[in-house]
Amino acid sequence: MVSGAIVLAFLPLVLTFIIRYRYYFVLFYRAVLVRIWYDCKTGLSREERAFQYVLTHATPGDPESILETFDLWCSTVEFISNIGPKKGKIMDRILSEHCPLNVLELGSHCGYSTVRIARALPLGARLYSVEMDARNAAIAEKVIRLAGFDDDMVELIVSPSDEVIPKLRSEYGLERLDLVFMDHWKKCYRNDLQALEGSGLLGKGSVVLADNVLFPGAPNFLKHVRKSGLYEWKIHRATLEYSKGIRDGMAELVYQGIK
Amino acid sequence: SVVQESQEFVEKYEGAIGKGKGRKLYAYKVMMLKKWMKFQRDFENFKTACIPWEMKIKEIESHFGSSVASYFLFLRWMYGINMILFGLTFGLVMVPEALMGMPYGSMPRKTVPRAEEANAMDFAVLWDFGGYAQYSVLFYGYYNSQRTIGWLKFRMPLSYFLVGVGTVAYSYMVVIRTMARNANEDGGGDNNCFNFSWKMFTSWDYLIGNPETADNKFASITTSFKEAILEEQESRKDDNIHLTRFLRVLANFLVLCCLAGSGYLIYFVVRRSQKFALEGLESHTWWERNEVNMVMSLLGMFCPMLFDVISTLENYHPRIALQWQLGRIFALFLGNLYTFIIALMDEINLKREEEEMVKLNMTIWEAGLYNETVGVNSTTPPIAIHPADIPRGPCWETMVGQEFVRLIVSDTMTTYIMLLIGDFLRAVLVRFLNYCWCWDLEAGFPSYSEFDVSGNVLGLIFNQGMIWMGAFYAPCLPALNVLRLHVSMYLQCWAVMCCNVPQERVFKASGSNNFYMAMLLVILFLSTLPAIYTIVSIPPSFDCGPFSGKSRMFDVIQETLESDFPAWFGKVFSYASNPGLVLPFLLLMVLAIYYLQSTSKSYKQANLELKKKLQTVSHDNHVSAIILCAIPALT
Repeated sequence: MVSGAIVLAFLPLVLTFIIRYRYYFVLFYRAVLVRIWYDCKTGLSREERAFQYVLTHATPGDPESILETFDLWCSTVEFISNIGPKKGKIMDRILSEHCPLNVLELGSHCGYSTVRIARALPLGARLYSVEMDARNAAIAEKVIRLAGFDDDMVELIVSPSDEVIPKLRSEYGLERLDLVFMDHWKKCYRNDLQALEGSGLLGKGSVVLADNVLFPGAPNFLKHVRKSGLYEWKIHRATLEYSKGIRDGMAELVYQGIK
Repeated sequence: SVVQESQEFVEKYEGAIGKGKGRKLYAYKVMMLKKWMKFQRDFENFKTACIPWEMKIKEIESHFGSSVASYFLFLRWMYGINMILFGLTFGLVMVPEALMGMPYGSMPRKTVPRAEEANAMDFAVLWDFGGYAQYSVLFYGYYNSQRTIGWLKFRMPLSYFLVGVGTVAYSYMVVIRTMARNANEDGGGDNNCFNFSWKMFTSWDYLIGNPETADNKFASITTSFKEAILEEQESRKDDNIHLTRFLRVLANFLVLCCLAGSGYLIYFVVRRSQKFALEGLESHTWWERNEVNMVMSLLGMFCPMLFDVISTLENYHPRIALQWQLGRIFALFLGNLYTFIIALMDEINLKREEEEMVKLNMTIWEAGLYNETVGVNSTTPPIAIHPADIPRGPCWETMVGQEFVRLIVSDTMTTYIMLLIGDFLRAVLVRFLNYCWCWDLEAGFPSYSEFDVSGNVLGLIFNQGMIWMGAFYAPCLPALNVLRLHVSMYLQCWAVMCCNVPQERVFKASGSNNFYMAMLLVILFLSTLPAIYTIVSIPPSFDCGPFSGKSRMFDVIQETLESDFPAWFGKVFSYASNPGLVLPFLLLMVLAIYYLQSTSKSYKQANLELKKKLQTVSHDNHVSAIILCAIPALT
């Protein structure tokens, strides 16, 4: 019916598509196909596989080596969206500039970013890490304790973020948050930011770091930040973790207070 | 006030302040001179204000950079040329025939045939330029071959021929003159010192009072900074030259493979369609009948995207990359041109064979008619038959004109629809789906489209080539093109401001103007070749057009020389067109061109040397000024 010539004429389009979006195809392969394959083969979840690897290859008590082992696993074996080495360096720099005492982390997943933040905290600072999924929280707990951080530095809260934020002041006795790190579901960024504003936990000079604002992207969050005028905001451009060609960014917001 | 009074006094007695004798005459002369200068200045202002679309283009330039604006400047320039061509064809060909020629219905060639009369007014037929549109001043076939028409004794066939030649000659002249002017403006290289300082301290315009103008100025300064930064970056890049060369060779090889593949595909499809045409078009499906058009449109849409992706290997300056991209798409479109011309030549041959048969049939028919009337009455009354019933010969020139007009119309429609769907619909989807999609559509996959400079420029150039090819056979083409360019300007200006985002790497397009002109010149040359070939070698139809009855179209010149000019003129002309005289003249012209070329090169060289000397002198002055200032500080 449709002749071969017309079908052949579509060949340049297919080639263009494949070449232009080759990094996205690679990401899809690693994040989805390889994961499904290993899920069927081993029966463990992805985070448990990661933890097994870290347990066998890292030195306990040394956060540096745990982070490096995680990076190695994510680059070579499978893909987990931790913050990654490049964006992690940006985060370390921001942490060392601000030296926060109270840090809130939304979405610890495997505990990679928790260990990274806790590593850079000064003495006497406290990190509250919120994770919604119970199994991931269990893994994160093990990873944090493996890294050698005890209970008065890092506290892991297992509950959805929108339920925790109103209770932070009452149950956990927090007056002000110096740094908030958002790395959970991108849909929740804007709601959680508004909840934090409403709860009065952000003071002048508080920093909010939001990861993955360009890919997969949080457009509502960025729109809210631009419109509200409460923040001095900047987007640090980098590449997606463990991937070379996909552009991503981390938004750094400094709360200015209501004028 | 005192100032005004004194000004009036000086103006009144200015002449008297000058010479003693002949005071009045001198004063009068000075006054006239001043009035003339004022008039000239006002006229210059008026001329500048009359330039159409200046504000629109400036606004686009401030947001999108000079490369996108160069397309719109090119479009405006084309519009000017097409206006002149329209003036020529409308005023000297269409209007005389419409006003002073024989009216509709008086001759077979000017009347819709009886068989087609029923649906000659249908919109579908008119859109296809058949029916009443075909039998009108819009096409070649309507024109009568009478030597003079009307009370003015207007020489219609001569005018038709000369307008056809004149449009081509005018186009050549204008293109080459513009190229020469652009080459002058380029000069021998800019003075690039303190680029950023100049931009930083002198960019703002303190006379701006309107907020929107201020926003535009802000955008344009930002864009010009981006352009300057890019130029600086490009001039500093120094990386592995061997790897770059290898990658460029590889990229060119890949592009050649793609061009060869698509060329072979087009050739294959054209051969198949010729086979189908021989078997009769009705026995094939819609897909097979329109195979050639579909394959050409698809390749024309998809191959440029592939070239764009391959060119990221090459790592050129964006201006050079744009020129390479233009050249490659040009080579691709030549394939399209080739198929179109092959198809046209086949149809012309078919029509000419038909013509022979019709000539035969007509003599038989006329004889039959004559015998009938003689049989009734012995005298021969005038045979009164309605022109619509007389069989007429096929008119290949009108068919060619119709093909060109249909091509232009379908091309225009395709462009506008692609613009609306590819740019506008995409922008609407990205803006409104973004509220409920999992990834950021604006920053990620589809996002807003960028303005495709190369595709649009080439579309414009090839479109103009079609006009030049077909204007001889369809005098309505320049009018159609003027309308199309007018609508394009407004539509594309709106689409660019509404749906497109600026490119990431914004570059200065100053060198591109001559490149577009060079491509236009090549297309002008390529498109006049087929027209000239058909004029010189194919005899005109015997039954339609201003040259019917002649053995070659250019015989009209011979006829004019014999009948309208005195005898000695014809003799002089025949002497002048003697090859013995023409060849030495051509040789002299070639030598003159070579001489002028070498002198202009040496002048350019001298210019560059002077500029360098000027730079070193100013540098020395600068250094010595610093030393002079430093001496008091040291002591």
